[in-house]
Amino acid sequence: MSIINYASREIQFKIVYYGPALCGKTTNLGYIHRRINPQNRGDLVSLATAADRTLFFDFLPLNAVVIKGFVTKFQLYTVPGQVIYNATRQLVLRSVDGVVFVADSQWEKMEENVESFSNLEDNLAKQNISLDEIPYVLQYNKRDLENVAPLNYLEYVLNNRKKRVQSFEVVSSTGQNVFASLNAVSQILLHKFSQQSEAPKSSPAPVVVPVPAPALQREGNQV
Amino acid sequence: MNAIPCLTIEDVATLDGVLAEFLKKAEAELTVVIDRGGNVISQFGDMTVMDVTIIAALAAGSFAATKELARRIGEVEFNALYHQGNGNHIFMNSVDDDTIMITVFGCRTTVGLVRFYSASTAQNVGILLKSLSREGHGFSFNASDVVGASVFSEN
Repeated sequence: MSIINYASREIQFKIVYYGPALCGKTTNLGYIHRRINPQNRGDLVSLATAADRTLFFDFLPLNAVVIKGFVTKFQLYTVPGQVIYNATRQLVLRSVDGVVFVADSQWEKMEENVESFSNLEDNLAKQNISLDEIPYVLQYNKRDLENVAPLNYLEYVLNNRKKRVQSFEVVSSTGQNVFASLNAVSQILLHKFSQQSEAPKSSPAPVVVPVPAPALQREGNQV
Repeated sequence: MNAIPCLTIEDVATLDGVLAEFLKKAEAELTVVIDRGGNVISQFGDMTVMDVTIIAALAAGSFAATKELARRIGEVEFNALYHQGNGNHIFMNSVDDDTIMITVFGCRTTVGLVRFYSASTAQNVGILLKSLSREGHGFSFNASDVVGASVFSEN
């Protein structure tokens, strides 16, 4: 759920990197963190296990283009890919504006890709969001490996819906097409945002009738 | 992206007033209102020492993670969470189904005082947020200005 703040002149968006375990979601964020201008990014926060597997999420805040004096702020998240962490994936997907689905191109990972894609659809549906409504792009990652499925097969398996989306051949470890896919989903997102700009109702700011705090007795309140 | 909350300058001024009064009474350092997805809605206080965006993302995660813990003991969720440090502490309380309020405070005050005043502040914030315009954000731009150009540049 994007938020527009006329006082700080900011628009916030949330993009989630989704996909099966070990497909390269965290590597995507790591590359973006290393290669983007440090003035336009915050710290990369990783909540990972001792073995560097994502436990909760990775998080990277970015500042992007300024549109009509408004700074666009993007918050990039990854989900934990392991099957057992579905509850966590649902939490991270909350208020999502756009998705980058990262598929592992290796033949033996095809079943996991399909499972994860279907899991994404289910988890979005729990928030009453349809995959057809939300801006998303597909990444076919690890194209530098030898045992990868051909592009048309991946398209047939993962991009075979009524509305086909942009897909990218990616090598997240070297950064190939990492920024291209991020830019693509951001542009779709901003385009959708620009279409939702009916004039706001010019109602005055609501009057908040303060809820008074009950009487405070200092002696009994120390914790 | 169906309902976009739109914070006008007047909304932010009203919200800041409520938060400023809370900080003064509770003698806390910083308070941040966030949605449960981790987006910052409003913030007030000393923001020089910490990255509010990251605090918001982690706090939303922490709040959500303990929801399941609450369920195990027959609660819907924990209304408030307290993280105690050596010198600085964080208190988080639920505003409504979509919003959380985070308060960072030091040794000038106590968790009791923060908790006491945060309850009524959360109610006031909740009333204000309910009335935010979600009809249309009124911010228009030509989409062609963005499409074709890079939103993010690689160094």
